[in-house]
Amino acid sequence: MSRNQQRRPDPRHKKCKFCLKEIAYIDYKDYPTMRPFIDYFGNIMARYYSGVCLKHQKMLKNSVERARFMGMMAYRK
Amino acid sequence: MPTIDETMTDEDLRTYEFCVLYPSNLSQKEEVDLLKEIEKIIEEQGGKQVSKDIWGKRGLAYKIKGHDEGNFVVYHYIMDPTTLKEIDIALRITPNLLRHIIVKPPKGYRILKYSETYETWLKEREGEEDRKKKEKEEKLAQRVAEKAKRQVKRAAAKKEEEAPAKKPKADKKKISEELERLISDDDLDI
Repeated sequence: MSRNQQRRPDPRHKKCKFCLKEIAYIDYKDYPTMRPFIDYFGNIMARYYSGVCLKHQKMLKNSVERARFMGMMAYRK
Repeated sequence: MPTIDETMTDEDLRTYEFCVLYPSNLSQKEEVDLLKEIEKIIEEQGGKQVSKDIWGKRGLAYKIKGHDEGNFVVYHYIMDPTTLKEIDIALRITPNLLRHIIVKPPKGYRILKYSETYETWLKEREGEEDRKKKEKEEKLAQRVAEKAKRQVKRAAAKKEEEAPAKKPKADKKKISEELERLISDDDLDI
């Protein structure tokens, strides 16, 4: 029992936050929704840590790269 | 392999999104001229304007051609996909234009005015920051109070420890006094 309580939750069991909201398209102009998935240095967080599914990770990558190109988001902080 | 159908009907028209970035230090006349030119380029190729969203002055995440700030404008046009390439080429050689992007939004995309949502988000974030600061301060105050309590407790415990320590000292004195009295007692015969 005590062993189980001490264990951290497995990061693999996270749910995709975009799937929970049933998001069909991530807009590159929508900074507030992309922000939680960007770390301090401006990199996109790995799926393993953020729990995003592959479908939404690809969408996220697309929109982040568009936002970076337009100067709305930093390539590197 | 799918072949591209050259004969387009009215149903093949799609909505396209054009986002444009130009420097913020342009004079008003230049700005108006630039926007007019952009609209002319798109409309020459048969685009129909659906919406126009002017974001206003925004800070850039990195310097673009020496500019720290720029103005964004987002257009939505209904148009023929085949003419897109020519618009892209024309926009690329437009003077005073820092960046442009052409995006094909998915079906069922609802056009939102991001100029407003961004401002509301900024305000919300400020509120959140204040709340976080307050929470931090409260936590600090709690910790300080707990520490003070612990210190008081420790001090009380120390006093208690010191108090019983004094008693045996007194006892020792008494014992020694009694012993001396006993020893000095002449009636005792050992």
